[in-house]
Amino acid sequence: MRSIMLQILAVTVINLKSLPQRLWLSLATVIAVGLVVTVLLAFLSMANGFRRTIADSGAEDIAVVLRSGAVSEINSVVLRDQVRLIEDGPGIAKGSDGKPQTSGELYLTVNGIKRSTGTKASLPLRGLGPQGPGLRRGVVMIAGRMFNPGSNEIIVGRALGKEFEGFELGRTVAFNNTRWTVVGIFAADGSVFESEIWADLPVLQSLFKRTGAVQTVRARLTSPAAIETLRAYSDNDPRLKLDVMSEAAYFAQQASNTSDLIQKLGWPLAIAMAFGSLAGALNTMYSSVAARATEIATLRAIGFGGFSAFVGTLVESLILAAIGGVIGAAATYLVFDGFTASTMGASFSQVVFNFQLSPRLIGQGLLLALAVGLFGGLFPALRAARMPIVAGLYG
Amino acid sequence: MLSPTDPIDPMIDIVDLCKRFTKGKETITIFDGLNLAIPRGDFVAVMGPSGSGKTTLLNLLGGIDRSDAGEIEVAGERLDRLSESELSRWRASHIGFIFQFYNLMPMLTAAQNVELPLLLTRLGRKERRQRVETALGVVGLADRVKHYPKEMSGGQQQRVAIARAIVSDPALLLCDEPTGDLDRTTADEVLSILQVLNRDLGKTIVMVTHDPAAAQYAKRSLHLDKGHFIEKELVA
Amino acid sequence: MNDLVLIRKNLFRRKLRAILMMVSILIAFAIFGVLASFERAFNAGQDRATPDRLVVLNKINFTQPLPISYYNRVAAIDGVAQITHFSWFGGYYQEPRNFIAAFAVDPENWMKLRDSDYVFAPEVRAAFIRERTGVLVGARMMEKWGWKVGDHIPISSSIWSQRSGSHAWDFIIVGSFTARIPQADTNVMLMGYDYFNETRSFGKDLINWLALRTTSVAANERVIDAIDGMFANSPYETTTDSEKAFNKAFAAQLGNVALIVELVVGAAFLTILMIVGNTMVMTVRERTREIGVLKTLGFSGGRILRMVLGESILLALLGGLPGLGVALLLITRVRDSLMSFVPTLSLYPDIAAAAVGLMVVFGIITGLVPALNAMRLNIVTALGRS
Repeated sequence: MRSIMLQILAVTVINLKSLPQRLWLSLATVIAVGLVVTVLLAFLSMANGFRRTIADSGAEDIAVVLRSGAVSEINSVVLRDQVRLIEDGPGIAKGSDGKPQTSGELYLTVNGIKRSTGTKASLPLRGLGPQGPGLRRGVVMIAGRMFNPGSNEIIVGRALGKEFEGFELGRTVAFNNTRWTVVGIFAADGSVFESEIWADLPVLQSLFKRTGAVQTVRARLTSPAAIETLRAYSDNDPRLKLDVMSEAAYFAQQASNTSDLIQKLGWPLAIAMAFGSLAGALNTMYSSVAARATEIATLRAIGFGGFSAFVGTLVESLILAAIGGVIGAAATYLVFDGFTASTMGASFSQVVFNFQLSPRLIGQGLLLALAVGLFGGLFPALRAARMPIVAGLYG
Repeated sequence: MLSPTDPIDPMIDIVDLCKRFTKGKETITIFDGLNLAIPRGDFVAVMGPSGSGKTTLLNLLGGIDRSDAGEIEVAGERLDRLSESELSRWRASHIGFIFQFYNLMPMLTAAQNVELPLLLTRLGRKERRQRVETALGVVGLADRVKHYPKEMSGGQQQRVAIARAIVSDPALLLCDEPTGDLDRTTADEVLSILQVLNRDLGKTIVMVTHDPAAAQYAKRSLHLDKGHFIEKELVA
Repeated sequence: MNDLVLIRKNLFRRKLRAILMMVSILIAFAIFGVLASFERAFNAGQDRATPDRLVVLNKINFTQPLPISYYNRVAAIDGVAQITHFSWFGGYYQEPRNFIAAFAVDPENWMKLRDSDYVFAPEVRAAFIRERTGVLVGARMMEKWGWKVGDHIPISSSIWSQRSGSHAWDFIIVGSFTARIPQADTNVMLMGYDYFNETRSFGKDLINWLALRTTSVAANERVIDAIDGMFANSPYETTTDSEKAFNKAFAAQLGNVALIVELVVGAAFLTILMIVGNTMVMTVRERTREIGVLKTLGFSGGRILRMVLGESILLALLGGLPGLGVALLLITRVRDSLMSFVPTLSLYPDIAAAAVGLMVVFGIITGLVPALNAMRLNIVTALGRS
């Protein structure tokens, strides 16, 4: 056993010492593997960032009520009578004042200009009642103040303000022939709500001619399990053709389409590229074996086994691929991690999110790199192990 | 002038030829005022120890290396006055090279190897094939047309190389140790072919060798040492 | 034998190596073919739109409505040649995930406006104008759901409801139409606005946007100013833009797809370029002696340069052309499942032509260094004869 280990070690050292002879080819392989990993991780961190931003926005103990079949807030219409029926529904937590903790909300989109591209983009403008902010985790004003009920004032999410122009504190914005003043900037724990503009519900309703209806109702549940009670209540009332789901489930579903799409794009691309770089790895390793034919044969002649030649070659390949993988992961981390982007969410409006690299994703990238190294080294290693000694010694 | 006769129409005429190499900071002088005349139809063996300048001489005669000074006229052309591309064209029509290690293209068959120089001519496909057949016939390999170099013995490969050298009908053949890698019997076969080419087809041949037995096949031998011919005409 | 034979023989001297390189080139060009087609399909709206087409939207956002009265007022503006209005139906078939792109329009004028994109049979044209509850369904949507002309189909709306409270409308398919130009998407459904407007429970007399064609591109500026001026300071202010610009802006909202495509294709090409370029250098270096022999035989430096370049270009074509084939195959296979996302996905001839051009460029780049090395090779050194 010890002898085999020593043999392998000796062969590996010889291989690695001869690396400079194939410097450019080996370097090309390393960089090729690095690029593959970079492409994969860029996509995965994008999907991950998008999913985390949206999915983490939803709470288990908040119910979201939409018109049935509406799928997203922008399509939904919930009439005033329906809102009342929901407020009276079971499983909804009461505030200290004894009132149910609910918020009927309007979800509109307005135009903004994206800073990075200068292009027009649709931004969500949400009208909510006094209980609205309290139904969201971690909402705090980081500048300015809350809008006053009944006034043309808006507050702007932190992420939206960074990505889009025209919503700086104190600025006035014109929607629908009326002027609105930005009176505050809020944070909401990095959730999707930071990509929104908030205004007073009744003001929005009247200015956008939506009196008598809202689009969604949010309600705090007495417990996450109470969602079932509320849903049963809604399903049994013919006046309520509504979908009731937990906010967490709602956002998970909103996020899944886009993040699935990104992942479905990223993996096949990365795997295709991995096959391309596999060709490079095989080429490199075959020339490595050819270049070391004499050394391998000499070692075999003095009694080294074919197995050590096999492992030595494989290790060289794995090391090259691993270096490439690490470079790729590092490049992704430096270039993309925390990179802010925005895309259109399910409601035709922009969601601002950051690319998020995680150890799990890096692990996946490195695994792909090692797979390239393994398959790229396997066949050349077999050739090294099977090489006839005489041919190697005498050219 | 080191010439056996006073040539009226020399194949090779070298006057005061100089050739130096620079290796690092050192300059090595190979030839410093070399003179040589070889008439058409001659078969000359050039002998001498390694480093005497045999190979350099052959390179200069074949126009694959440039001289530093002096005149070098081969087959009616002043090589020292030709540009690289003119030299290429000139080689294609006037010179046949035969190397010690045959230098055949491994991925081409015998016939294709022989055909290579004809790609530089305007000959049609049919005529090219005829010429290849003739050339391979001359070296006695008409039956090896489709064989690849690795499927042939050293002697056979060298004969293919000879066929390649004569296929475009050059007047001058330059051979660099053509038998250096062959056993005696095979070497004799190859040398006999060269002899036939000289005697029957009138090819002028300059052959570098350090095998005295090989030199016996030539009409005469020249001995090169330290860049000068030191003896003349051992064999008539 | 000719130079091409020589080039081919050189290329396949080491079969495994040549095949490996071809595979990696194949992959790069398959990626290029697929992604370039995706990008094209994604931006198809911009390509389809002719410059004389304008859209009139609510200034706040395109999802906000406009009153139907704007239709006649805009139609009367001098310089407006053809016009229709659109309302977003938000349709789905049976399940919310079976999304149906359906719009309520003015049937007669919609067909006039879209005559350059679609082919309408005369009887189809007449039937769509005549039948109040009739819908017109594009060929691909028909094919996707296996519908036939004359079918009664229930289409639900994720936005609207009928006065009865139902979310579903029953429509009769009165006809179908095909694309006149490849970029035109036929995975759409059109319904008459009158029936839709009368039956819905809210949003009465509102539309989503107007689409119009001007008498000439030169009139665009004037028409835009006239429309937006007419509705300035009203409760429904408008913003009028070219259809091309609107489609572009809409596509841009998904993110910079072009940039992502360029980055990935760039990374793929860089990868393959390095691998193939290095291998070519190595290959030619191994052949130093043979190149020396060819030169000795009288092959000129230029000819040798062309032979090495020919080899690398041949390699790129042998890898790249099948790569395009793979791209075509992939696109054909995923087209149907992605119909609602990128409706006009297809490997267009100009993308294929660009790919072939890229192959030649790729071949030249990977072959250039070794070809120059070979051209400049000194015979004496190459043959080891000094």
